[in-house]
Amino acid sequence: MLKVAVIGAGTMGSVHATAYSKMSSAELVGIVDPRREHTAKLASSLGTKSYDTLENLLEANDPDVVDVCVPTYLHRTYVERLARLKKHVICEKPISRTLEDARAMIDTCNKEGVDLYIAQVVRFFPEYKRAHDLLLDGAVGETGTVYAMRGGVFPQGWQDWYANFDRCGTLIVDMMIHDFDFLRWCYGDIERVFAKSMWGRDFQRLDHAMVSLRFKSGVIALCEGTWAHTDGFRTRLEISGKEGIISHDSEEAVAIRSSFRTRSSEAAGVAVPESPLNHDPYYLELEHFIDCIEHGKPPIVSAEDGYQALEISLAALESIQTGKPVEW
Amino acid sequence: MKVKTGIISFAHLHAYSYARCLQWAEDAELVAVSDADETRGKAAAAALGTAFYSDYNELLKEDIDAVIICNENVHHKEAVIAAAKAGKHVLCEKPIATSVADAWEMINACKDNGVKLQIAFPVRFNPPVRRVKNLIDEGRLGRILAIRGTNRGQNPGGWFVDSALSGGGAVLDHTVHVVDLMRWFMNSEVKEVYAEIDTRFYDLNIDDCGLLMLEFENGVFASHDPSWSRSETFPTWGDVTLEIIGTDGVTKVDAYAQHLHLYSDQKHRYAHEFWGNDMDLGLIQDFISCIVEDREPSVTGIDGLRAMQVALAAYESSAQKKPVSIIRSWGD
Repeated sequence: MLKVAVIGAGTMGSVHATAYSKMSSAELVGIVDPRREHTAKLASSLGTKSYDTLENLLEANDPDVVDVCVPTYLHRTYVERLARLKKHVICEKPISRTLEDARAMIDTCNKEGVDLYIAQVVRFFPEYKRAHDLLLDGAVGETGTVYAMRGGVFPQGWQDWYANFDRCGTLIVDMMIHDFDFLRWCYGDIERVFAKSMWGRDFQRLDHAMVSLRFKSGVIALCEGTWAHTDGFRTRLEISGKEGIISHDSEEAVAIRSSFRTRSSEAAGVAVPESPLNHDPYYLELEHFIDCIEHGKPPIVSAEDGYQALEISLAALESIQTGKPVEW
Repeated sequence: MKVKTGIISFAHLHAYSYARCLQWAEDAELVAVSDADETRGKAAAAALGTAFYSDYNELLKEDIDAVIICNENVHHKEAVIAAAKAGKHVLCEKPIATSVADAWEMINACKDNGVKLQIAFPVRFNPPVRRVKNLIDEGRLGRILAIRGTNRGQNPGGWFVDSALSGGGAVLDHTVHVVDLMRWFMNSEVKEVYAEIDTRFYDLNIDDCGLLMLEFENGVFASHDPSWSRSETFPTWGDVTLEIIGTDGVTKVDAYAQHLHLYSDQKHRYAHEFWGNDMDLGLIQDFISCIVEDREPSVTGIDGLRAMQVALAAYESSAQKKPVSIIRSWGD
């Protein structure tokens, strides 16, 4: 059984740590985060220990795998350090903030002989995997056009790093990279990118982006990302083929809709949509990475895939800045 | 006063719907129809119980106040100008024309002859769309940041896919409605267009799909999908949707959401059965009332021109693989 530690106890760190705590093939040996009180609470709820620095964790334990869930701009520092310590690394998406950092991370892990996995989790979402498999089975014939959307409210993060362009790269680097990766998985190489977003307009914790992708195969895709909604999080996917259409909307694929009377006489009932699964996609993804490490299997999504998805995000930012399409 | 009306050509299937609306409308009367295709025109005249002319110039000599023009896109110009010269008010099917010069000739001919020119953008009369227009005007969404539109459909076939008659495929056919709504919502013009356009769904010599990325003068950006991408088994002909992102809220309107689900074993398919209000009736009533009340049409020739310009710029952008600016002419 592999020993795993998680760095970062924010949104994704908590999700990843929770997944490892349920996994029979991994032992969660600790969570690292300088926010002591919050991290201690999370660690004890998952039956593991909290540490405020990586050094403290390494003094107390010797993990085989470290999962890096820190803000994007810090990925390279942690990943390279861990690789030199001969730890296999699982790193939250996006791989990094710049292509230079991404290449350095991949090269260092190769040189040190450790595995690097980028948590491009959408390939493990059952609705996206099914759409991908249907598509490759020819269920809708050749694809003509695609629409992929995801988004919700503007996220809250440590030091508000999501609102910092240099640290996060906007929702195009942080979130829409999921759809870029998914569409690469389906359609291969990109030919041209053209994009528009709030960046450079009035980016005030209210972001929205539309990215036009043209694939070498000819497929025309619109990716839309939003951090301008007033609530929730949603995803949509529609693949229009010559012989049919595959369509998904997370707001429709709701298995349970409950409504609860609130105590306050002022407030209306709160609607709670749910769509439960045996294992969440994060669990499936991390279990797969652990399996790859243990048995030397090729991963469904590689570090190189993470690099190429980032390339699309950065091309979109370049297009927004120049107002011109970016050709491959 | 009953507004006596004629219909020029049934080349566009909307002509039947407009004819029925004229028969329902209280202050309108459908007097005669014309069609260069005699078989098609006589069938329509018989079904509607009107006089028939194979030459619309003969129809224009009749004692009528207005005409609805539904011939092929490239022929809009000559019919509109002939009607204007005959002193008839005009409701012209969209797109107004296939070139900017033609559209201006039509607008000026109507102006010079003192007749009204309205363009058939019926979606402005769809109640959910009107409600969203009100939400925006009331400031409920705050300032608009971005809009995403769709007007997808199936290949209409016939002259629509013959560029010598239609002037363009899916992009010209299905861009103008939604661009008109965006312009109407914001009172702002498109200043730059980027587009990817191709033929990917059918074996055609004309575009059947595309994606437009728009920049408005007010700083709002938008995208629009005009593709004929609805498969044969899609439960309805297509869609008109707009999602609007504002500083104070987000709203999504689907002009055809008001439908039942029909699972038909007879047809072996699942279909939407629309039960909302007929937007064509709203359009026709508005056209008739602008004549009765002698006011400006609520959708003008300029509106038709602006929407068409966006589609034409999209073709140019796709050919050049770069964004194209829309230059406004005639000092307006």
